[in-house]
Amino acid sequence: MTMDALAALCDRIASAAARTRKLNLLADYLRTLDDGDLARAVRFLSGSPLPDGRKLSVGAATLRAAAASATGWDLELIRFCSRVAGDSAEIIALLMAGRSAGLPLSLSGAEQHLLALAAERSKARKQKLIEQWLLAYAPLTLKYLLKTLTGMLRIGLQAKLVEEAIARASAQPLELVRAASNRSGDLAEVALAARHQTLDRIQARLFHPLDFMLAKPLESMPDGVLDSGPWWVEDKYDGIRCQLHAAHGKVRLFTRGQEDVTASYPDLTVPLSAIHPPLILDGELLVWRDGAPQSFNALQQRLARKRLTPALLAECPVAFIAYDLLYAGQTLLLNEPLERRRALLESLPLQPPIHIAPQRRLASPQELDALFEAARARRNEGLLLKRAGSLYEAGRRGGAWIKVKRALATLDVVITAAEQGRGRRATMLSDYTFAVRDGSRFLNIGKAYSGLTDEEIRQLTRLLKSLATERFGRVVLVRPEVVLEVAFDGIQKSPRHKSGFAMRFPRILRWRKDKPPEEIDTLDRVREIYVASL
Amino acid sequence: MEVHFSPDGIHLPELGLWLDPRRPVPAAWLSHAHSDHASGVHSLVLATPTTLQLYADRWPDPAGARTELALHPLETIEFRGAELTAYPAAHILGAAQLLIARNGERLLYTGDIKRKLPLCGWPTIVPPCDRLIIESTFGLPVFRFLDPEPARLRIAAFARECLDAGEIPAFTGYPLGRGQEIAHALTQAGIPISVHGAIARYIPFYEQAGYGFSGWQPYQAQKISDRALVVTQDLRPRLEAAQKNVRFALVSGWAMFDSARAASGAEELIPYSDHAGFEELLGLVAESQARQVDVVHGYAEQFAAILRARGIQATARA
Repeated sequence: MTMDALAALCDRIASAAARTRKLNLLADYLRTLDDGDLARAVRFLSGSPLPDGRKLSVGAATLRAAAASATGWDLELIRFCSRVAGDSAEIIALLMAGRSAGLPLSLSGAEQHLLALAAERSKARKQKLIEQWLLAYAPLTLKYLLKTLTGMLRIGLQAKLVEEAIARASAQPLELVRAASNRSGDLAEVALAARHQTLDRIQARLFHPLDFMLAKPLESMPDGVLDSGPWWVEDKYDGIRCQLHAAHGKVRLFTRGQEDVTASYPDLTVPLSAIHPPLILDGELLVWRDGAPQSFNALQQRLARKRLTPALLAECPVAFIAYDLLYAGQTLLLNEPLERRRALLESLPLQPPIHIAPQRRLASPQELDALFEAARARRNEGLLLKRAGSLYEAGRRGGAWIKVKRALATLDVVITAAEQGRGRRATMLSDYTFAVRDGSRFLNIGKAYSGLTDEEIRQLTRLLKSLATERFGRVVLVRPEVVLEVAFDGIQKSPRHKSGFAMRFPRILRWRKDKPPEEIDTLDRVREIYVASL
Repeated sequence: MEVHFSPDGIHLPELGLWLDPRRPVPAAWLSHAHSDHASGVHSLVLATPTTLQLYADRWPDPAGARTELALHPLETIEFRGAELTAYPAAHILGAAQLLIARNGERLLYTGDIKRKLPLCGWPTIVPPCDRLIIESTFGLPVFRFLDPEPARLRIAAFARECLDAGEIPAFTGYPLGRGQEIAHALTQAGIPISVHGAIARYIPFYEQAGYGFSGWQPYQAQKISDRALVVTQDLRPRLEAAQKNVRFALVSGWAMFDSARAASGAEELIPYSDHAGFEELLGLVAESQARQVDVVHGYAEQFAAILRARGIQATARA
């Protein structure tokens, strides 16, 4: 099978809006591949094309430089074109139309190229290799070959969907595929095991992010759900949800966006290299000062700075509040009941900067209000309720965990357009139109300008300009990537926005750098809030 | 010949003539009937007969305050000491370039233009000139659009794929030009269509020019099954809200980019435009043999710089 066929498939998947259509296309394709190509294709599609999982770390700038020598266009023009389209790989493929030889490329050939590139140390020689590909292969093939270098295919294909296609193509239960993928972190290994019906032989491995178990908002649960307990209750901390992997002196910190943020928090991760027996903790990263967790605002000061200075580390030291244990004693604990995971967690010799979240039994639903107020008084976001006896449902928001947040609802939305401000903010993009998610589409629901600091707006302006796709006078349309948490006083029906709803008095609470746009709130959630308010 | 460029339009003071002015003027050449080129009421309006008809429909003049002067394509008239000739521009029905010859100098203004054949409309003819004023809506080397035949096939194929699966294909298009081209391509392929009123309004003008739309029906919100829809972009939220398995296609120059999916809400991108792509623009400049080029609209800075790098005296006029 060829890289050309895979590229054509990617284009078809990108243009299929319906999830089922994407799924069918991919499953049908996977069935046609032999074992070697199955592994290669799955690696390509999951954005990590090298067999050993190494990152290629070739930046868009190197791609553009290669394109400049291959086409003769000057670098500034290529950069300008990339800004117009929003994707360098795509632009370079378009520029190569009519210039490249269009030679066929097999998947194993593509893999050889990528390995050769990864082995190359010198930037100039990397660029030369890429230039050779540009002149050799067809534009569509190049588009996706180059996209794998920058790590983003942008065809609306999440890892979840690849898992589903693997299950379907191999006629294996999806739960088995998901669980195996969670254990291994290597989708190619999972695809092969699924095909050969050996999923149960896949061992758990550390240092790849497992799927997080998610909490449902209390408002979305049926009345009386708390009577169906018993429930455990913890404070809901206002930080960044993270997974901490540690073993034999090695430490990794992953966010829910699967991002490895270890290097950003040396004050947390360096002391933890003392941990030896392997473990995976689930919890919250936050600023810890005067013996107590601080609000998200404190953490945001830390997120805003690119360079870590001793002063910053002293002013905003971070800690990790652990509330679940996913792996210990060479065993993955996802299928152990909450109480057992908790008991094991408490038995670990953990020391600051790791703290264990206090937990208690919810005596009765009537207690909730007082507990909520107490959590708020401790500057925490609210409460997290966990159903007694529940298992760790990785990647699911099944209702075994319930979050109780501030009384006013908030929505996580993604910015789709930004408008130049006026007066003081005239040179900045300060008014944001934002959308909720409906399947793979984003539908606008409101617009707001208040709530962020000038510094945040300056940062956002730079970022949004780089995400711009089109400009209409003062308004810039942007690729939906920046997630905001917005508060509002109510939801109304409205023909003004594509979602069919509008917010009353929307205001921006914060910029959710930790959240990918695939995880923002959905149109269904908006409908729920609307219906609940009737 | 003196040429003044301003946000109000292009002004030729020696002729007292404005080219596609943005405000009311005493005398205006309208290259075509899109409202960013032809709008408002001018005292004297010069355009092709088709553009005049479309313009009168969009901007009626009940008081009879304006004088219209029709320039038939390829015919030359005398105007204030100059010779004016309209040359077809293929952008939309009636679109034309204007060649102005005065004291032995020839100035060509393209208006909006494409070089490839359109699905509906005249083929572009480029006369030689000394100075060229050319648009550059898509003046970057990444823009390369489909020829009419592949565009027609892509449009029909998407419609058939949807209809065969029991889904409703919807094409969003500008009310004048793209909308009729899509409608024409679909009916030619034997696909039943419903056309939104804003687009249907101009179908008679296209029929008069000889393009068929057999069996088209006016769009009705209640009756959208088993037909391809040709509608304006504003209708998309309502169609989506109706939850009727509608799938959208974008036929546009911007459909070159995958990001157009998020920007337009369409899943099928068909890069066909009523403007020239980059190679077409270069071709137009070469054919015109112009020694001096003024670039207006879109990526004027970038396109002018590319022309200069090829040894052509070119200036971007914002």
